[in-house]
Amino acid sequence: MKFRKAISEIKGLQYLAESLDLQSPMGKRFLLESDMLCNETNLNIEYDLIDKLIQSVESNEKTISDIQSKLSHLRDIVGSIANLDANLVLNDVELFEIKSFAFHCHGILNLQKELKHELVQLPNLSALVDLLDPQKTGIPSFYIYDDYSEELAEARRKLKIAKSENGESEGKLEELFAVAEELESKVREELCDKARAFAGDLRIALNRLAHLDLLIAKAKQAIQLNFSRPELLKENTRYKAMFHPMIKDELQKQQKRYQEIDIELEKSVCLITGANMAGKTVVLKTLALCQYLCQFGFFVPAEKAGISLVHRILLSVGDDQSEMNGLSSFASEMMSVNQMVELSQSHENVLVLVDELARTTNPVEGLAIVNAVADIFYQNNTRSVITTHYSGLDSKFRKLRVKGLDKDLGDQRITGKNINSYMDYSLVEDNTGEVPHEALRIASLLGINKEIVERAQNQLNKNASKEEIL
Amino acid sequence: MPFLKDIEKYNSLSIVGLEKNTGKTECLNYVLSRLRDSRKQIALTSIGIDGESRDQVKQTHKPEIELSEGMMFVTSETHYAKRRLFSEVLDVSKQSTSLGRLVTAKTIHSGKVMLSGPANNAEIVRLIADLKTKGVDLTIVDGALSRKSLGSPAVTEAMILATGAALSANIPQLVFKTQYVYDLIHLKEIDSDLKTKFRGIENGIWALDKTGEVKDTGIASVLMIKKEKDKLFQFGTDFFVSGAITDQFLDFLKSQKQVNQIRLIIRDFTRVFANPETYYAFVKKGGKIQVLDKTNLVAITINPVSPDGYRLNSDELKLALETKLQVPVYDVMRIIQEMSE
Repeated sequence: MKFRKAISEIKGLQYLAESLDLQSPMGKRFLLESDMLCNETNLNIEYDLIDKLIQSVESNEKTISDIQSKLSHLRDIVGSIANLDANLVLNDVELFEIKSFAFHCHGILNLQKELKHELVQLPNLSALVDLLDPQKTGIPSFYIYDDYSEELAEARRKLKIAKSENGESEGKLEELFAVAEELESKVREELCDKARAFAGDLRIALNRLAHLDLLIAKAKQAIQLNFSRPELLKENTRYKAMFHPMIKDELQKQQKRYQEIDIELEKSVCLITGANMAGKTVVLKTLALCQYLCQFGFFVPAEKAGISLVHRILLSVGDDQSEMNGLSSFASEMMSVNQMVELSQSHENVLVLVDELARTTNPVEGLAIVNAVADIFYQNNTRSVITTHYSGLDSKFRKLRVKGLDKDLGDQRITGKNINSYMDYSLVEDNTGEVPHEALRIASLLGINKEIVERAQNQLNKNASKEEIL
Repeated sequence: MPFLKDIEKYNSLSIVGLEKNTGKTECLNYVLSRLRDSRKQIALTSIGIDGESRDQVKQTHKPEIELSEGMMFVTSETHYAKRRLFSEVLDVSKQSTSLGRLVTAKTIHSGKVMLSGPANNAEIVRLIADLKTKGVDLTIVDGALSRKSLGSPAVTEAMILATGAALSANIPQLVFKTQYVYDLIHLKEIDSDLKTKFRGIENGIWALDKTGEVKDTGIASVLMIKKEKDKLFQFGTDFFVSGAITDQFLDFLKSQKQVNQIRLIIRDFTRVFANPETYYAFVKKGGKIQVLDKTNLVAITINPVSPDGYRLNSDELKLALETKLQVPVYDVMRIIQEMSE
């Protein structure tokens, strides 16, 4: 899975990618082309680098911002390097780009020395700088300098004298210009032959600078959003005070609090129950987001995180455009659940996250489907979370319940706007198999038409008395 | 040395021809040759593509632009590769135009170059600002007045207008057409706080209501005015029109009872594509047009020779224009000839 694909599926990831403070076009490309990692060693190397950078940002902010400023001047010279490799003669603009790149790379190499740790190992391009800056001007502008060839210098001198004399014919000037231009081409050819030796180093530098750009952006984001380094675990995945940055940010804009939650996932199925508007979907989305962030080498939005790596993340939250492929929402959900089940049966190491499984069909069969799917995940030890409103869940499955509206509300009227201050979003272990019956309570608190609530309540009372008679 | 003192006050200058062969390039070369001895750092660029030898169709003489040592210029990669001079690359833009990225260079040995440049106003403004940070005192823009171009030379602080027999071989007609452009260039500029309100608007017709708030009339363009005229006056009689002002639109406004209260605000004078007759009729009825960006016209140059060889009397033309317009008028070719004699 490439990052490019992951952001198209996970909105929260795209939000974070967009808020990264990337400076160079290659930094962005590097991120989009990066693979989801499943290897602990590689991930820990990346986390170590971010750790070092966080320290550097905190202790040496000026140097880091100088490096960022140099990175912002970098151009993606991948095309020019390819031309160099392909034995082509570069034009002045390409040579300028290479010179300017080598300059900035050299500058960053020197700036890195001011830091406690070397962040990325950059090739030394000073010989290339010397080649392209024969006058030692120290500025990145470029042309085929007279210094490269006495012959060229002489030809240009002649042309200049001829021009200043004013008497020379147009034809003669053209001729002199052609001679100088020819010599210039020869020098350019020789120059490119010499520069070719640096193509490999340039390519390495381009890649490492792109990586450095990304590392700085990751570190700054981690500081700014209070992310922490995940510890890679073999068994359970554990989050303390996990949050969804996009939603937290949105709530903060409305001056509302965001309640972080703790959660632990075993290598088995876990069902989450809870009232409506209790944030179950957000839990799933946050779990998916954290797992992706972790495996793309980011720190994660939690106070503390221990994460077990997986090969794939499967998320079904039912907000995909099922109408688009001609399937009903139920059919579309079943197709994606089918894939999850097949991966579970073949004991793939995956993280499965399903929001309100089988919610679009009747509750009797719906419950049966939830129990069946959960049982498959249970038997195959598939790390999975399913949220549901159905009662009658098999008691052998682990269940978590959102605490919900536990507080005494008094006469307070709840609305979509303020519900967030009355809801306790924390998760508790729950062994009853029953789900909270709070739909009518929440509906009435939201202030919807009384007749709906009253009639529904009457219906429930009638059913209850029937059962009693039976 | 005519009009060069005036130019020195500005950071940017555009040279605009009212028609092909009105002597814009001669004017540009003349200005450059006169500035050669000043200590100012000059940079040259163009709006869109120019310097191209399209005039070969008409087989008329079209001189290229001659840059002297030390002058800077901005052109596309494609034209940079065709340069007939030696120059040092100072920078390459990140954005690309249809002819590739824009190269900023400094002339090492004098010679000729074809110019092309940014295609829209925002890019031109950014480029002029960028050149200033590179030590440029005066950026000269080789401009064009075109309905097709999104870029307008009116974003420069000063302007020289080139007119001549190519526009009309009849002096009163030539003066009338030139005066029209002169009048448009002198349209009043709106207050700067009002400017910020309209600056970002890309399309449609917007109105200013009584409280000074900008409201979308819901009319997508002046071309839609026939169908949606009922919506026009819902907020008031002050309008910002982002696109072109056409004959049809002014004709419509002219016949409304509110015409003497109407104020049209446009980006700059180049957005008026109506005939002079329609424009003057609108103004006569009390309608007003004002602009976001106003430039200072420093001079008009004339080329009394038309492409088909017809020659007007230079002195007569100069006098006729100067009598009507409050701006110095020069026959650049004549000045050059007189100097070399």
